[in-house]
Amino acid sequence: MEPEETKDAVVFKRSGQPLQWGAQVALLASFGAMLGLMLFAGIDSLRALRQVQARNAQIRKTFLLRNRALEEIRSALYQSGTFTRDYLLERDAARAETNRASLQTVRGEMDAALDRYARSLDAAEVAPFQALQARIADYWKVLDPIVHWDAREKLARSDAFMHQELFPRRATTLEIADRIGSVNERELNNGDERLKEIFDRFRYRLGLMLAITLGIGAILAFATTRHILHLARDADLRYRQVALAQGKLKELSARLVEAQEQERRAISRELHDEVGQSLSALLMELGNLGAVAPGDAELRSHVESIRKLAESSVNVVRNMALLLRPSMLDDLGLLPALQWQAREISKRTGMAVTVDAESVADDLPEEHKTCIYRVVQEALHNCTRHAFARNVRIQVVQESLRIRLTVIDDGQGFDSTHARGLGLLGMEERVTHLGGRFHLHSEPGRGTRLRIDIPLAARAVEAIA
Amino acid sequence: MNPVRIVLADDHTVMRNGLRLLLERQPDLQVVGEAADGRQAVALAESANADIVIMDIGMPNLNGIEAARQIVNRNPRTAIAILSMHSDESYVIRALKAGARAYLLKDSAEADLLAAVRALTEGKSFFSPAISKILVEDYMRQLESRGAEDTYDLLTNREREILQLLAEGRTNKEVANMLNLSLYTVETHRAHILQKLNLHSVPELILYAVRKGIIA
Repeated sequence: MEPEETKDAVVFKRSGQPLQWGAQVALLASFGAMLGLMLFAGIDSLRALRQVQARNAQIRKTFLLRNRALEEIRSALYQSGTFTRDYLLERDAARAETNRASLQTVRGEMDAALDRYARSLDAAEVAPFQALQARIADYWKVLDPIVHWDAREKLARSDAFMHQELFPRRATTLEIADRIGSVNERELNNGDERLKEIFDRFRYRLGLMLAITLGIGAILAFATTRHILHLARDADLRYRQVALAQGKLKELSARLVEAQEQERRAISRELHDEVGQSLSALLMELGNLGAVAPGDAELRSHVESIRKLAESSVNVVRNMALLLRPSMLDDLGLLPALQWQAREISKRTGMAVTVDAESVADDLPEEHKTCIYRVVQEALHNCTRHAFARNVRIQVVQESLRIRLTVIDDGQGFDSTHARGLGLLGMEERVTHLGGRFHLHSEPGRGTRLRIDIPLAARAVEAIA
Repeated sequence: MNPVRIVLADDHTVMRNGLRLLLERQPDLQVVGEAADGRQAVALAESANADIVIMDIGMPNLNGIEAARQIVNRNPRTAIAILSMHSDESYVIRALKAGARAYLLKDSAEADLLAAVRALTEGKSFFSPAISKILVEDYMRQLESRGAEDTYDLLTNREREILQLLAEGRTNKEVANMLNLSLYTVETHRAHILQKLNLHSVPELILYAVRKGIIA
């Protein structure tokens, strides 16, 4: 009832169920939404940028077009003044006619420029532009009568006409054109401001979307991280539980093997020393009995049958004891035990078994001795039962820090990468319990080669040092 | 003539009692002490001046093989007969290497013990027939499985003669006396025998002789 007991006990807590359906959908939806938002934000940004660019180009183009139209109107106005004056002051009729034609051309150019301007008219420019048109129409109406003047009229009125009619009208018309120019410029600035508005709206939208994306991402990251950490903790816990259970299982199996070995030894000794010796003593006493009463024939026949029984019992007991655990292993050491085992197998099956273990020390630790003996026993058993080998070579080499056993047979072999029976597992278990390494190689038709290496305790090292 | 002085070493009282009964029916055999473990056996063999120690292998404190080694080291004249439940050759060769001269199986003790004691008093070795049989059979099987030729054929008649005497437990000097040879010649023969049979010591030679059925 100690607390350590319960703490030590292996408890499999049910935890960390696999991800549920709802959670899966939620995760998928969140990741989908986040990716969708990012995609939308990207496309929207591209679209807005393109729009701003197009708008900007449009505004600049319109401004330039109007500016040029206005310039043309202005220059046509100046030229019209010049041509009018030249026409009025020209005495030569032919040259005056040329000036008049030029004036007509200028007028046509101005009308065309006005038309161009009128097509791209803004709301803010309508009033000044109409005023300009009215002025220009008025200007041309004032100019119209002079073509009908004769030379005398020209001479008499031209000076006053120029200074009182033509030049002031031209000046006011130019003024209006200037006003339209400044409106046009203001339009340009307005366009810049509208662009800035579009840009601001776009920036706001982008910021909002980024914020939402970030929010969802943060929630997702938090949730998944938490879940993954949870899973990892669970996996770790479970791993440790399994490792613990495995360790305990190994320990238990080692203890079982040890207990079995001790039992075998005890029973073997008991059979051999107690039962066997008693039967031997019984045989001896039977001899004494025969010597005491030599004449009685009936008694002799009874004694004889008891002797036969006792003799066969002694043999049975001896064989049982040897099979359980050969006494040589404890009395004489590993080599005699292996040699006995080899002889027994040869006697029973006809398989030739050679043992080479001359380097093995007499004071080999008990566990090592037993381990090697049992592994050899199992290997020989396999050789006769499964491999049908004809020759087996057993070699034990003891070095300062380890002892190596090799068992090689020429039997039919098997695929050692796949088939492994309980017997082999038992061998491996015994060897690994002593910190050793178990190596088995076999191929069908190529015999089997078993090698184990078991480290020897530091005691042996100290003895050498 | 002095009786043969015998020490029994076995941790089973019933066994010791049975053995004592068996041995003391012979007037020229005397059980001079009983030990229940190896250490006692070593002490008793010396203090009781035993001619023969009949010893189990599996005993507490000091096992029979180690006890045999110590006893022979202290007094090489003491003959050791191992009386054991173990019939495997690894025990037999260990016992022989430790200096034992006889190896008996417990379940045939009643039949073999007196023969073994007699052999030991004559300076010979002895093995239970069951042990000899196992050793011979194992040897034959080994020969068969290796496909090796019988090395015994390599020996000359003189060498075979000396092999048998040595395997029976005679010393070089005894052999030299019996065959009227010099000690040096016997030693040379012995070296040749060991070399031809690929053996390394007299215990192995004894085992070989048993396996070949040269001695019982």
